[in-house]
Parts: sequence; structure tokens; C-alpha cells
Amino acid sequence: MAAVRDGVERFGDRMAALAWVRPKQPEALPAQINRRRIYVLPTGFGLFLSLLIFTMLIGGLNYNNNPALLLVFFLAAIANNSLVSSHLLLSGVRLKALHAEPVFAGQRMTLRLRFDAEGARDRLGLELLCGEAHANFDLPAAGEIEVALDVATTRRGWLSPGRLRVSTLRPLGLARAWSWLRPDTRLLVYPTLDTEAPPLPEALGDGDSPRSRSHGEQPHHLRDYRDGDMPRQIAWKASARADRLLVREYEAAVARDIELDWFALPALSHEGKIRRLARWVVEAERSGSRYAMRLPEQQLLPGCGPEHRHACLRALALLPSAT
Amino acid sequence: MTDLLDPGLRRWCLLAAAASALPLWLQLPGWLQAVLAVTALLGALVERRVPAALRVLLTLMLGGMVFSAYHFSVGRDTGCAGLLAMLFLKPFETFSTRDARSLLGFSLFAPFAAFLQDQGPLVWSLCLPAVLLNTMAMAMLTPGASRPTPGWQFRQAGFAALLALPMALAGFWLFPRLGAPLWGLPENATSRMGLGDRMTPNEWLDVLVDDSPAMRARFIGATPPREQMYWRGPTLTDFDGQAWTRNLGLEQRPAPTLQALSGLVRYEVTLEPTERSDLVLLDLPVSAPAMSTLDGDMTAVMASPINNLVRYVGVSSPQMRYLQPLDGWSRRSALALPPDLNPRTRALAVQWRRETPDPQALTLRFLKWIRRDFSYTISAPPVGINATDDFLFETHLGFCQHFSSAYAVFMRAAGIPARVVTGYAGGHYNRIGDYWLVYRKDAHAWTEIWIDGRGWVRVDPTAAVAPDKILDTVDDLQARQGLAGLAGGVLAPMFETSDFLRNAWNQMVLGFDAARQKGLLRPLGIKEAENWQLVLAFSVGAVFALALTLWLLLREHRDDSDPLVRAWRRFVRELGRSGHAKDTHEPPLQYLRRLAGLRPDLSPAFLDIGQRYADWRYAGLELAEDEKTDLARRLKRFRLAAAMKR
Repeated sequence: MAAVRDGVERFGDRMAALAWVRPKQPEALPAQINRRRIYVLPTGFGLFLSLLIFTMLIGGLNYNNNPALLLVFFLAAIANNSLVSSHLLLSGVRLKALHAEPVFAGQRMTLRLRFDAEGARDRLGLELLCGEAHANFDLPAAGEIEVALDVATTRRGWLSPGRLRVSTLRPLGLARAWSWLRPDTRLLVYPTLDTEAPPLPEALGDGDSPRSRSHGEQPHHLRDYRDGDMPRQIAWKASARADRLLVREYEAAVARDIELDWFALPALSHEGKIRRLARWVVEAERSGSRYAMRLPEQQLLPGCGPEHRHACLRALALLPSAT
Repeated sequence: MTDLLDPGLRRWCLLAAAASALPLWLQLPGWLQAVLAVTALLGALVERRVPAALRVLLTLMLGGMVFSAYHFSVGRDTGCAGLLAMLFLKPFETFSTRDARSLLGFSLFAPFAAFLQDQGPLVWSLCLPAVLLNTMAMAMLTPGASRPTPGWQFRQAGFAALLALPMALAGFWLFPRLGAPLWGLPENATSRMGLGDRMTPNEWLDVLVDDSPAMRARFIGATPPREQMYWRGPTLTDFDGQAWTRNLGLEQRPAPTLQALSGLVRYEVTLEPTERSDLVLLDLPVSAPAMSTLDGDMTAVMASPINNLVRYVGVSSPQMRYLQPLDGWSRRSALALPPDLNPRTRALAVQWRRETPDPQALTLRFLKWIRRDFSYTISAPPVGINATDDFLFETHLGFCQHFSSAYAVFMRAAGIPARVVTGYAGGHYNRIGDYWLVYRKDAHAWTEIWIDGRGWVRVDPTAAVAPDKILDTVDDLQARQGLAGLAGGVLAPMFETSDFLRNAWNQMVLGFDAARQKGLLRPLGIKEAENWQLVLAFSVGAVFALALTLWLLLREHRDDSDPLVRAWRRFVRELGRSGHAKDTHEPPLQYLRRLAGLRPDLSPAFLDIGQRYADWRYAGLELAEDEKTDLARRLKRFRLAAAMKR
């Protein structure tokens, strides 16, 4: 179901900007939802129903129609209790952790939020909203759940998830109870990759080493499968013979270090340079070569592997904008 | 259409709506019931939104039918039926969550409308499942990651209903009521027959087979004999040859002054709604009940029509004397006869009057004639334009309307003022509840004649019919129709019990009003509660109800762990309060070792408890039930000791 925001919900969103709306500051995780930061407002349906109940109340009082009044108060009590239930559904929920794998700006980032709750109650029908992205989840009693939420990224650098809204329409859909979460977690967004980048700069250095940039074409030896190995590395025939998964390990031909130099780039815009370098980092990593990077006021020593790649992309992501 | 309703959900919503519509639907005329049911079924089977033109056409058609069912007049019942027709049309356009919600909302209005027509416990008992199903359907419509089973939803709805009870009752008893209505209840287009403004001997009255209760009366003090129970309703003075009608001019005059000749009878009446403003009182009322006035012909009237059950205390005396003589206008009205009708009656009356001038002797003579020659039957043959002549000289068959009318015409022709009084005769004693139940079919008409010096005197010519000449009564008719006068047979105790329950419902639920509410705070020493006091009481009640609700909701927090674990937790909590908090990372044994270090005198006990608890909890040591209780008791002892010291 698409999230169609009704008027009351939009009102709640606007109110969120007010200074007195809790939490007033971004907070360190874990963040617990307590009664002081739960807001409850009726939905459109709730308003419609209360109008109906009010009409029936006036009618019942006017005619002193006792069964009708009993019905009216019964409905009103159910509606009122549903507000309390909504409140209790949220109260005690805790956001334990929030993390996300870095993505390149423009891609969707999957936030992973881990919730748990105190108390022995099942909390069914919770909704998490971040910007336009939303997810429904249930929180079983004394259980934990990880909720994934895809959010859009636009710029490189630190992404703050901003206000997250945990809300519920349960039990009856008459009111939305919600609470804002403002985790102070920062999430890294890599720069966008340059799509029109020229091939990697030739490796620099002294002459005669072979420059096989291949991913190693010579199979070196076979080893046991380990988590994280790519499926295409698996030596299926050998595995079948050995009755266990074997992985072909290649001789990565020793390539010369690639030097990615900010100052050697042709005349590009500031962001353009960052995008190009980011692209090259990705390609250099894929080529299996070692690579180094020189940035304004920063120097990354030659290296390779996911950590090095991350370090380079992080450095690029966090470069100050052009002034 | 972004959020199309899941067909399963749609079925639940329609079911809830159908349950809500049921009590109102039962009140419709039969053929309209069938039409609406078919319409709703079609609507439920349709899988896509039908074109608007078709829906408009359908709406117009149903609207027309509803109107024709109520003879094209607008009333409360027409409105209710119209509302129901709209509700039954709603499935044709219920395809999204939003539609479903508006369907549920509107359908909750249906039981309310049903209560405007019938406030009986049956409607309430139908209304309760409707509310449950509605809350269930509402819960099902809320978005969520998973969809709980209907069984779970039903239990939740039931639980919610139970939780709502305290608050609902607080509202019902304590929410300030209106003393006087802001506007009147719209009248029904087709009203139920009751005591009318009109009596025509020639017309069959449906009221005579109406088995529903008209009123219940409980006597405070002595109960008069059943033959004396004439429940007086409107008086009919004007006669045009065919019909007896009320004389509104006479009625609007002040009540005459009377003097009671015998003891007073006090009784409490619960009158079912009549849609008219007359109250029914035992003949003859001494004074008007509260909120009503006695009019010129000794009928108590309220300011507005009685749409709800009313309760009042009446005081009557079986024998009263009118202190003033009959004034000219009244006498003329009570003697008026259409000049050229019923010549034989008139001639006979004049002749008899000549022979027997005394009105009472004349009456006795007339009654003797009735006893000799007349028979009682409710299937009386039709009479012509000279209705009284035909009855007295040709058919000799009739029921109360014929007898009272004929007698009144006869007396008028004889020059004695006479008028017809409608009301109920007798009653059925309920042994369980000690009250008298009067059915609508007990409606009766009798006559009053004016005797100078005494005033209006009741004469019931119908009662003069010889018992062996009662051919055909209402009960016989009902037995023939299969409706069966079961109430008198072996099932009597059952009927009495069910009516007793109905009466209890009437007294406790229906009879509650602003006046009784004001007296509600009497136990607190407040004689007449002011509105602000009621508001305060309501707030207090609501807060209590809310507290109860919260407690019940949070009760789910209940700790289901082993008693020993709970004893341990309490022990840790209490010692934490006394300043020896257990660190989160500290295992039980280490914690107790630390405590033992603080209190060397208790150290062996602490160490033993810690060792045993840790072994049981973490090392899989099996403890017998009594060992566990013992350990728990020791933990409790230390906890209490710590609390005492604090």
C-alpha cells in the first residue's frame, strides 16, 4: 500500500520542526521511545468517527434515548482506549543500532535499523518512515528485529538519516501514534562514479615489470572455498572431483603501482575530479593492482583490497567542497 | 485506486456492516427487507466499481421503494429506512480501504437509528456483535507487516469491548443529561396503532390483536380488584354518526374539581412510547403526575409526544364526585347527535326515558337488555349508515366499540349527557416482578354518563354481556391464527420471566433520565446534583475507568517467569534500593559474595543462597518444589529485612 499522507499526518510532519518537539537534539543510540516523546493525533478516519459519535451523542442526549447513549459511550470508550493502546504499542520500543553499507551517491542506500522493546507485549503493526521511504514491521515480545529501509542519496559525504518516524495506526486506525527518532549516526556516501572516465592512467614507475593488468590468468593453485569468494572463482570440475568446494586462486601478476594523482588530472571541475578519481579507484581495485592516491593535503599510500578501496573512497567522499 | 481492498478484508467489512444493519433491517416491512437484502447481496458479489450512472439509477429506484413503503410521507421511519437503503447500496462502491472505512463508520449509525425505533434488549443484543465486528474490521484495515488471524482479531475486539465497559458505564451514568430536549423527535410516517383520537364502531382496530405491552403498573400499597382496573386514556366526546372523536376545545379547559369518595390508590406506571402526549392513568386520577397536566376531561397530558418509555406515579380514586355542575358547552357537546341518523334508537330512547326517568334506572334497564339479547364477538358483522340502529336492532353482535358507542348514543338520545372513554381494561399480573402488565390488545372503550350531583359516572356496557354469550375473543382469534394464547398456558412462567427481564431493562436502562441522574449523588449527601457536580463526578468516574483500563492493558506485562526467579528479582531490586545495587555484569554468586563481605554475620546464609540459586539457574541443578519455595522464602526474608532497615 502506498503511503498516502493525510492532512493530520502532514500537520504532524510540519510540527516536527518546532523547537519543543522531542527529541530536541540528535541523540546517541540506543534511543528509547518513552511516553514523553510519543505524539498521538487522530487520523482522518478517527475524526470522521468522532464526528459521528458526537452526532449520535447529541441525538441520544436530546431524545434521552438510553440504549443509544449506551452505544455512544461504548463506542467512545473503545475509541478512547484505542488511543491508549496505540500509545502503549510505541512506548518502550528502542532503536538499538543503525547502520548502512556505503553506496555511491545517487544509488539507494539500505539503512538497517535494529529495534527491540522492553515489556512482554507483542507490538504488531509498527511503521518506520524516513523521508519517502517506509517499512512495516512487527516487534515480537522480548525479540529483536532488523528493519531495512531504502533511502535515496544525492550527495557524497556524510548522510544524516535525519528524522525517522516510528508510528502505528493500530489497533483501530483511528489515531496515529508516532515518535521521532533522531539518531546522530552518520552514514557515508561515496562520490558518484564518473561515467565518461578515460581508462586508468598508466602505472608509473620504472619500466620493465610486466603490466599484465589481467586478473591473473594463470591459475596458481586451488584452495578451499571461503565465505566471500566469488562464484566464478569456484573450480566446479575440481570441486566435483574433490567433493568439496574449491576455489581457483590466481596469480595476480605483479603490476606496477597505479598513481592516482589529483594534481595530474586534466582541467575538470572540483566535483568532476572527485568523480573521476572515484571511478579510477573502483577500476584500480578491480584490476587487482596496488594503487596510491594523492589528494590536496592528503596522501594515501599504495595498497589494495576492500579496506584500501574504502579508505580512498572515504577520503574522496569527505573532501571539502570547492569554495 | 492505489489501495485496492483485499477481497477477504472486503468480505469482513461487509459482514460487519451487515451485522450493524440487521437490527434496523428487522424493523422494515417484509418486501422492502427482501429488496434490500438482494441489493446488498448483489453489491457484495460485484467485483469492480459499477458505473456511476447505474449506481444513481439504483439509488433512485431504492429511494422510490422506500418512499412508497411509507406511503410517500416523510417521517422518522422513512428516514431510517432511507439510511438503511444507502448503507445497503454502499457495497457497490466499497473497493478501497477508504471506502471500507466510510462503510464501517456509516454502518455504526445503523444501530443508533434502530434505537430511535425500538429500545428493547433484542436490538441491544444485536447491536453488541455488530460493534464487535466493526472494531474487528477496523483493526483489520490498519496497515501492518503481518495480518493477524481473524480469531486473534476477534479476541482483541472482545478484549477491547471489555476494556471499554467501565468508561462506557461511567459515561452512561454520569454524563450530564439534558432535562428538556433541544428539539423534538421526528414522528414516524406510519404510526403504530394505540389508543386513538378516533373510534369508529364499524372499523376493525389492529390494536386489538397487538400483543406488545402497552404499559406496566406496580401498585404502591393496596391493589384494587382486577374488575376495577380501568386505565383511562383519551375521552371522545364528538360523534358524527360514524366516528367518535376528541373535542379539543373541551379538553383545553382546566380540569374540574373533584372530591374523592373512597381511599386513594397509588401506583407507578411505565408507559411504552405511544407517539402521543396522553398518559394512561387509573380511572379516575386525583392529580396529574409530574410533568403533565390534567385537562378538561380528566386525561393527563404531557407537553410533548411520548417517544420514550416514561415513568410516573399516579394517584387515583375509584369513586370521585364532581363538585361543579356541567356547564352549558359541555352539556351541549355531550348531548349532540347527528339529527337524522339512528331513528329507531332515538325513538326507543325517548320512550324508555319517559318510562324510566332516572338515568341510573335507565342504565340498568339498558344493561339488562344487553345481557339478554347481545353477544360479544370481535368478528362483528358490518353495520350500515345507521350504525347504532343496526347494532341494537339487527345484528346484536359486537365488541367494546359497538357497545360503548351504542350506549352513548342511546343515552344522548334520551337526553342524558354521555361520552366515550378509551383506555385499557384489566391487566396481567406478573408474580415474579409483582406488577401488572397491560397489552395493547387490552385496549377498551367504555362510557361515562353525567348524573347531576355526582358528575361523570363510568358505565361499561360491554361488561354487561352474559358470560355464555361471549362468542369470540381476541385470544380465540390469536389461537386460530397460530399466534396462540400461550401466555396463559404451561409456558406462563416463562412469559412472566421474560417480561420481568424486559421490565428490569426498562427500569434500569430505559427509564434513566436527567431527573434520576440528579438523584444519583444522593448517597454522597447531594440531594439535587448540579450540572457541574455531575461533570465533576463524570470526570472522576472517567479517570477511574481510564486507570482501570490502563491497569488491564499493562497487566499484559505480567511476569511469567518462575516464582524463584521473580523472588530473586525482587530481592535484587529491594537491595538496590537500600544502596547495594547489583552491577549489571555481576553474576548472582559474585553479588552475594560481595554482600556477604558487607555483612560477615550473615555471610554463610548469603553464600548458601547464592550458590544454590546459581546452581539451579545456571548449572542445571534440579530443585524439588519445596526446596524452591524455601529458597524463595529466604530471599523474601532478606528482602523484607533490607526494606525494614531502610
